[in-house]
Amino acid sequence: MSLEFSVADEAFREEIATWLEANLQGEFAPLRHRGGPGDEEAFPELRKAWERHLAKAGWICVGWPTEHGGRGLDVTRQVIFHEEYARAGGPGRMGHIGEGLIGPTLIAYGTQEQQRRLLPGIREGREFWAQGYSEPSAGSDLSNLRTRAELDETSDEWRIDGQKVWTSLAHESQWIFVVARCERGSVGPKGLCFLLVPLDQPGVTIRPIRQISGGCEFNEVFFDDARTAANNIVGAPGEGWKIAMALLGFERGLSTLGQQMHFTQELELICQVARENGAARQPALRQRIARAWVGLKVMRYNALRMLSGGEDGQLPREALIYKYYWSNWHRDLGKLAMDVLGHTGNVVDDSDPVRRRVQQLFLFTRADTIYAGTNEIQLNIIAERGLGMPRESRSNA
Amino acid sequence: MDFTFTDDELAFREAISRFLMVEAAPEVLREIWETDSGRSPDLRHKMAEQGMTALSVPEECGGMGLGDVAWSLMTQELGYYGIPDSLADTAYVAEGLINDLPESIRDRQGWLERIAEGDVRIAVGHSVNPLVADAHLADLLLLEHEGEVHVLSREQVSLEDNPSIDSSRRLSRIRWEPSSSTRLVDSENGRALWESALNRGALSAAGQLLGLAQRMLDLSVDYAAQRKQFGKPIGSFQAVKHQLADVAGKIEFAKPVLYRAAYALEHADPLVDVHVSQAKLACGDAAWLAARHGIQVHGAMGYTWEVDLQMFMKRTWALDPDWGDRGFHKSRVAAHVLMDDAQLGPGHTFREA
Repeated sequence: MSLEFSVADEAFREEIATWLEANLQGEFAPLRHRGGPGDEEAFPELRKAWERHLAKAGWICVGWPTEHGGRGLDVTRQVIFHEEYARAGGPGRMGHIGEGLIGPTLIAYGTQEQQRRLLPGIREGREFWAQGYSEPSAGSDLSNLRTRAELDETSDEWRIDGQKVWTSLAHESQWIFVVARCERGSVGPKGLCFLLVPLDQPGVTIRPIRQISGGCEFNEVFFDDARTAANNIVGAPGEGWKIAMALLGFERGLSTLGQQMHFTQELELICQVARENGAARQPALRQRIARAWVGLKVMRYNALRMLSGGEDGQLPREALIYKYYWSNWHRDLGKLAMDVLGHTGNVVDDSDPVRRRVQQLFLFTRADTIYAGTNEIQLNIIAERGLGMPRESRSNA
Repeated sequence: MDFTFTDDELAFREAISRFLMVEAAPEVLREIWETDSGRSPDLRHKMAEQGMTALSVPEECGGMGLGDVAWSLMTQELGYYGIPDSLADTAYVAEGLINDLPESIRDRQGWLERIAEGDVRIAVGHSVNPLVADAHLADLLLLEHEGEVHVLSREQVSLEDNPSIDSSRRLSRIRWEPSSSTRLVDSENGRALWESALNRGALSAAGQLLGLAQRMLDLSVDYAAQRKQFGKPIGSFQAVKHQLADVAGKIEFAKPVLYRAAYALEHADPLVDVHVSQAKLACGDAAWLAARHGIQVHGAMGYTWEVDLQMFMKRTWALDPDWGDRGFHKSRVAAHVLMDDAQLGPGHTFREA
């Protein structure tokens, strides 16, 4: 165990901090602290330009292995990168699904041809990806999905019919990865395939879903005889579930660290508001703020412990509790933020960016315990996979 | 000792509930949101026809002469149906304040009659609320200035619109000049009037929060029965149904607290502040839990604009700090419990003073 940063680590920190300070200027200055959770729709074009700018300097895919064009940073350096990115107010990453989810999946399971063809678009900040998992009848019961895929031998294409839902930023993306049923009559996790599908085609319709915050960050995506080339399958037909689950395993890595830095900033923001409006003098709120800080530290230590382990994409046992922990912590933080704002909490004032951020935080945190596996699903995973308890009886429709 | 309502009280509540179910369906409310004023004169008129504005106006002024206990039921209905109109501000809070004015005040009787008839809107500006609800439509504004009661027309004030995350709320910051011509009651007599107004406002918010909690629970129970995953209605899973059972528990335990507070107000209990604060906290807790578990049970659907749950959640979040936030009401309860000569033991469960 060693919990120190080396001299070389500190030099690296200086390097990224200096670069960010020098580059989040001019045309990119408006992006500071924008595009985070609840604010995903802010400045999409400018943020894409920022992705390309980051890429040119080699600051995306920093954790990817060098043979795939990444920087091959170890966990410590990735921690430092994310700390500094958040500290500088770096904007929410448009490329996060590509860099953090499908990229590592292609590196682990894709063919060399797929890697050659698709990784550069991600690495250069040119191509953006959406995630096609949930469907109207497949939410918590994800393996109940019904989108069908059939290989058309004459055109050498997959033909896809069905619907995905809650698809973040599909309207800003070029590609979607789709888990679909390729064996007729199969049920549950069997008979699925994992396809890479271009979004810009006649067979794909994207319809925005309006959220309680008023924004439309996510979408319904309809496939009506949509096509993708036969070689756009990851793994073999029938292995879709295995690939889909492995992808979720990568979700913890990079995204986790960036997310925690974001949390740290939010807590700092809440403290700032509390000091300014006097809420910090209320004993009940002081205690809750202190408790939030304690919770954040626990989360951070656990994440670092989790990430210090093996890098084979396998989840260590402590990873099972991670989503449940952070989402409940963050939901409570949202409530704390509203209580600290008090009266002004429900009043919209676009001229006050701090209040806007805190309100977005609150509304967004209402969904934390729902997306990416609900509380109920997380607890089932902990109980069944972590503790080996009997599975709840489930009839299959 | 009798903690129940009379048949008449319950029948009136039932009638109002049936009326609002028809007239104030969520799709109607969404249409009202989109209007400039955010209010429907038609709905307001119909509510007045049902007697809702006359509830606590004395009979000699054309009202029904009921009191705070009746309002503890009525406000739950206003909350349950998410009524955007701040009807209770006029017909309960302002009415109570005007009713408490000395009879020597010339306009007192006329105002009460107009409230009962339902053709006046009165906004109430208490210092505990930095913003005033529905001031943009008010015929009269009752405003506090250092304990004094001032009455102004809308033309005498300037309003600055403050949009809320709850689309049904219409809030304004008010700028105005207190003067001897606007002053109705001096501070010596005014303070007690404002204290009662605060308690009525808080009780009104508490009742609405409780009604909102019930609505969110009902919506969630329905959804959990219809939505299927793993081949079953999700409501059949203990992890889901127990969350809603917890909400039901919170609501049922908040109800008598609300009624106790209403009774204390109606009977000028010396500890009315403590009772009202406890009610506001209990009802607020129930509503927050109903929102939290309601959206959890609805899954991602609950996070959409399209599904009605959001209307009631947002109203909850916006109403919770209204008429005294959590810190304010907790302090009032704590101050009572920790008084040097607090009488908390047996023999003081209902007679504390």
